[in-house]
Amino acid sequence: MQRVIGAVLVLGITAGASCQRAATVTPEVVAVRAAAVPEDPGDRAWQSVPEHVARLLVQDVVEPRLLQPSTPEVRVRAITDGSLIAFRLEWADAELNDRPGPGRFADGCAVQLPQKSAAPAPDPQMGQAGHGVQIAFWRADWQASVDGRGDSITDLYPNASIDHYPFDAPSLERGSETQTKMARRFAPADALGNRRGGLRSSAVEDLIAEGPGTLGPAPASVSRGRGVRTPTGWLVVIVRPVPDGLSPTSRTQVAFAVWEGSAEEAGSRKMRSGWAGLAMRGPS
Amino acid sequence: MARVYNWQIGREMSYWYPESRPKRQFAAVFDTNKCIACQTCTLACKTTWTSGKGQEYMLWNNVETKPYGSYPLAWDLELLEVLNGGRWNGRTYEGETIFESAPAGARVLSWRPAAEDYAYPNVGEDDCAGQVDGGAGFSLPHMAWFYYLARICNHCTYPACLASCPRGSIYKRPEDGIVLVDQGRCRGYQECVKGCPYKKVYFNPMTGTSEKCIACFPKVETGLQPQCFVNCIGKIRMAGYISRPEAARPDNPIDYLVHVRKVALPLYPQFGLEPNVYYIPPVHVPPAFLRQMFGPGVDDAIETYRNAPNDPDLAGLLALFGSSESVMMRWARRGDEIVGADDRGTPLVRVLMREPVHVRPAFDRLYQITRTNCP
Repeated sequence: MQRVIGAVLVLGITAGASCQRAATVTPEVVAVRAAAVPEDPGDRAWQSVPEHVARLLVQDVVEPRLLQPSTPEVRVRAITDGSLIAFRLEWADAELNDRPGPGRFADGCAVQLPQKSAAPAPDPQMGQAGHGVQIAFWRADWQASVDGRGDSITDLYPNASIDHYPFDAPSLERGSETQTKMARRFAPADALGNRRGGLRSSAVEDLIAEGPGTLGPAPASVSRGRGVRTPTGWLVVIVRPVPDGLSPTSRTQVAFAVWEGSAEEAGSRKMRSGWAGLAMRGPS
Repeated sequence: MARVYNWQIGREMSYWYPESRPKRQFAAVFDTNKCIACQTCTLACKTTWTSGKGQEYMLWNNVETKPYGSYPLAWDLELLEVLNGGRWNGRTYEGETIFESAPAGARVLSWRPAAEDYAYPNVGEDDCAGQVDGGAGFSLPHMAWFYYLARICNHCTYPACLASCPRGSIYKRPEDGIVLVDQGRCRGYQECVKGCPYKKVYFNPMTGTSEKCIACFPKVETGLQPQCFVNCIGKIRMAGYISRPEAARPDNPIDYLVHVRKVALPLYPQFGLEPNVYYIPPVHVPPAFLRQMFGPGVDDAIETYRNAPNDPDLAGLLALFGSSESVMMRWARRGDEIVGADDRGTPLVRVLMREPVHVRPAFDRLYQITRTNCP
């Protein structure tokens, strides 16, 4: 019950936040200096921050391409404390998609930054060889897991019927090494450390790429974030270290992408922006 | 797209990658006439590989009843519909493959099953939909026939799953042609699930990656046949390696059945994948249906198979099915005895063309007593 009340409160706050548009709309993303970066999408600090509207284009450069446009734009605000930067992405989405499954795709978004700020900027489409990009990627199904959804097939399909899992045999001590090992035998991706599903402690994943098809895990997890559903779509905050090249006197670039689950968008089937300028404003 | 040669359709075709055949190609022959749909193969696979969370409705091996059964639902009808038929001119396919008819923005022509399409394996496939009074009461396009189609991944020469993956997470092993999903690299985009026309790649919602039949490669690497083969009650299956037609060896069991006698045929060759599981077609099914499913070689294959009682080589080789857990690379018939051997010619198994018959009379004259069948 407490969780339900909490969710209602968050929805109320975020609905209010999305109604109060920022006074200024900027042609680039301006990260406003503050004492701390808010991780809550409904934090009042977001209300006074200028907003950048990133127009989204269909990814129609590499196969598989997206041919039908879905999400037209994402509204972005940013706050920094000098060492961390928080991006809040807001976009309209009529349908909640947070359950994985065959033929099911989760809503998602990503913030992309050049790995190094030196000019020229990498190709905005996932970078290029020798000019990589770093990406913080948030997904709605991971958020649902962080928010408490269970890790069983009936959490995804309430009417699913299960006969037996060998690693749930009464003869195996729950949580024992033998039991864990047997469960992993049937989950090879998990065994290889490729955590794409299941229980998660973070809804955000750090990635690097040097061109389409080269996406891989970043050497370290540096980003965190949280997404909440609003009556009209999503509000997602992604917090990560201030990127290379961004300071009160220098700027860099940032790009965004949104995946609409109901349109079967995943991987390269996505709506994406070009590079936008990313600047810092306020007392240093 | 590259131009590659697909011998099953008798011509060159377009494919996403250049032709690169493995050193040897894992292949199999299934005799549909022997299958009784006991699903022992399905369970052998399930207990070995797919008993985990997220694999509940995942059947790397399944057996479905044709013409009405399918798993996932309507996997073949959906694609046949979008492929819009296809023309054969003799043994040459003149229609478009799924690679050649790929729509803009995609690498293959395909469709995507919904979650519900996986929800009811085998349900209702063999059931009458209503009361049948006074004999056959159906009024369906297919009246009084059906057969069982056992299916695994075809470990295709030109896999559509591999072509569909934008990350290169699917690979075909150069040593044996087995097609695998790299579970460390897959990001669960499900392009392969959509792209495979046989729908033999499955998405696991718990691991978030796509998984598929691995041809029991840990067994195959040690010279053993996969689990679904050795557990087959009806002994319908034989695993081995297939050569290209021009390099076929009559002493290779798979080559003999596919290339020499042409009694085993690929599943939907018109899709263009050069699948490597070959089926001896059911002899009692209308040929028009079978031609659509197995291509233009069906009529000759059935005639050859029906003549097996007068064809000791063919009948002998069929007797080798299910006789050994080992992969039989070679075979030979010596009179009534058939020998399966490894690649050095060392015998692995010997079977007789006909099992010796011993009649045990119900009445034992010596002891003047009637025998019972109690063990």
